[in-house]
Amino acid sequence: MSGTKTILVVEDEQDVQTYLAALFEDNGYRTIRAGDGVKALELARTEKPDLITLDMAMPEQSGVRTFRQYKADPELSRIPVVIITGVGEDMQTFFAKLKGFSKPEGFMAKPVDPGKLLKMVEALLAA
Amino acid sequence: MRDRIIDLKQWIEENLFSAMPMSIAVIDRDFNLVLANPAFEEKFGDWQGRKCFSVYKDRDALCPHCKGGEAFKDGLPRVNEEEGFDRHGLLTRYIKHTIPFREKDGSIPFLLEISTDITETERIRQEHQLLFDQVPCNILILDRDLRIVRGNRRFSETFGELDGRYCFEAFKRIDQECVDCPARQTLSDGRVHQAHSVVLDKAGKQVHLQVTTAPLGLEKDFQHVMEMAVDVTHTLKLEESLQAALAMSHAMIATSLDAHMVVDGAGRVKIFNPAARNLFNVPPGHPMTGEELSSMLPEDFMSMVARATAPVSLSDTFISTTDDEKIPVRLVGMRLIGGTRDMGMAFTAQDLRPYKKLEAEKLTAERLAAVGQTVAGLAHGVKNLIMALEGGLYMLNSGLKAGKADRMAQGMDMLTRNTERISVFIKEFLSFSKGRSIRVKPVDPVGIALELVDLYKARAGELDIELTHEKTGEVLPADLDAEAMHECLTNLMANAIDACRMSDKKDPCHVTMNTYEKDGALVFEVSDDGCGMDYEIKKKVFTNFFTTKGSGGTGLGLLTTKKIIQEHGGRIEMESELGEGTIFRIILPRDRLPKPEGRS
Repeated sequence: MSGTKTILVVEDEQDVQTYLAALFEDNGYRTIRAGDGVKALELARTEKPDLITLDMAMPEQSGVRTFRQYKADPELSRIPVVIITGVGEDMQTFFAKLKGFSKPEGFMAKPVDPGKLLKMVEALLAA
Repeated sequence: MRDRIIDLKQWIEENLFSAMPMSIAVIDRDFNLVLANPAFEEKFGDWQGRKCFSVYKDRDALCPHCKGGEAFKDGLPRVNEEEGFDRHGLLTRYIKHTIPFREKDGSIPFLLEISTDITETERIRQEHQLLFDQVPCNILILDRDLRIVRGNRRFSETFGELDGRYCFEAFKRIDQECVDCPARQTLSDGRVHQAHSVVLDKAGKQVHLQVTTAPLGLEKDFQHVMEMAVDVTHTLKLEESLQAALAMSHAMIATSLDAHMVVDGAGRVKIFNPAARNLFNVPPGHPMTGEELSSMLPEDFMSMVARATAPVSLSDTFISTTDDEKIPVRLVGMRLIGGTRDMGMAFTAQDLRPYKKLEAEKLTAERLAAVGQTVAGLAHGVKNLIMALEGGLYMLNSGLKAGKADRMAQGMDMLTRNTERISVFIKEFLSFSKGRSIRVKPVDPVGIALELVDLYKARAGELDIELTHEKTGEVLPADLDAEAMHECLTNLMANAIDACRMSDKKDPCHVTMNTYEKDGALVFEVSDDGCGMDYEIKKKVFTNFFTTKGSGGTGLGLLTTKKIIQEHGGRIEMESELGEGTIFRIILPRDRLPKPEGRS
């Protein structure tokens, strides 16, 4: 199955991580998981996933910083990132205002609607 | 009658020589004393067979400018002032009349010498001169034309040598007499007159003089006026600056927003400014007494100030108004000592009501802000929980559909775990947001700290962490909510222990609880040499729901701690170095601690 796409799920809440991974795998994707930003960057570099879902509020290193690191790395910057956060609308506005950085390709507020998330992922991977 | 006059002449001829009160002596051409009267002997002592220079001057040879020798030569009588020594060897001054005794052949075998003692007169004259020159005022003598006859030394030092000049011209550089000249008035009525005069000294600088003029000479026929002038320039300047200082302090006291009161040595209220009337609610025109003021100040404050050597300051106290209202003030009292004289006491009261109001408003605003942050943070925390629950449902449902028991079990686990988390979360959140108002009473701060150390000792021991308590210096009881403070310290202690558990160090970590006083504040310090924090984490420790412990913490602990400390009027400080450890410090300024209920 050379067509199987890999999604990197970055999420510090163990149960949420389990949920997202199960959801993606049940829909035909391969998943790799990271509980913090440092591990996520490492995995992204070695595994080269096709898409990343990224939580914002994490220990060790915030999601914002992790996002910037992806986008600053020429090898990773093309990978679409879907921000999944509980912080709310503020975060979307925050990213919209950021200058000099790419905007995240997708944005989902917690708790996510699984149908919408899958549609967004599908669209981003087809592009 | 004629016989009697003849008798009198005869008596005079026989007795005058010995009855004369002046010293009379006769010398021959060899300067031997050949005759002397009793007055001479009384003054100069033994004379018989002695030379005149020996008797008068205690000399062994003729005097350098011997007047006697001259009189023997020219045969003329002469008068001169002499200095010599009396029979006791004391210096004496006398006026000597030398009268040559001429024989019919014109030769002069003898000289008659009559000496009048002027020692006393000379002494008095010298005293007067000394007085004239040294008295600390300018003295000058004017004639009837107002010309300066002479002045004393001080005068010539100040004004220069002005003898012969008109006083008005010399002092004021004008060419006619001054109006109201006191010297002119004295000349016309012979009385003492006084005046204030502004003149120029020899350098042209203005000098203010207080002048007294008096007639000098015999009663009606006096020819001179003595003018005595005291320099009052310095005094006037002092007076002027004193007046300026007084006017300034009056203006400042009258317009000050703080109440100023002064009570004199006899207990009378001397100053009670408008701000004081306003603060104490004393109607205008109502006279204040010392007793009344004392009764409105804190009890015994006035007597405390009266006994103190330094100003007495109460930074947070109350005064009562005339209608018995208690007003919070900062009160300062000090004794007024002028040299060694007790001049009473001064008091200043600053109305603290505006500050108290601001402080209360600030505290309320801080609390509201904390609640606002909490509500915002709550949404975030809840969203994660909901998503985890949804995840649990998804696993359960999809496991059920696919008939996968392990997935179903995983879903059940997720549901159970997150339901528990919700209950813990809600409990902590409620305890934070219900806003239980703190109830303080005097407690021993060290007691609270010790209790906590005892409580955590066993757990720390299990984790191979050394937990110790230190007390630095004396720590007095303080008005605290012991239960709330216990909760704060529990949070800090739990954090310190967690920091030690997360440390990579091989050696056992240490947690130290230290209680001490610093700069009027009670301090609880919890320090650890655990993992420490980096910049990113330090920024966020006091924000809501921030946790580095994953699902092990709600992130509310430090926020609750901060809230309790704020309610005690204190603050919390943190120092942390990644890999080195962390110090949390609760600082409770004693003058900001809440008052126990029942005490306003």
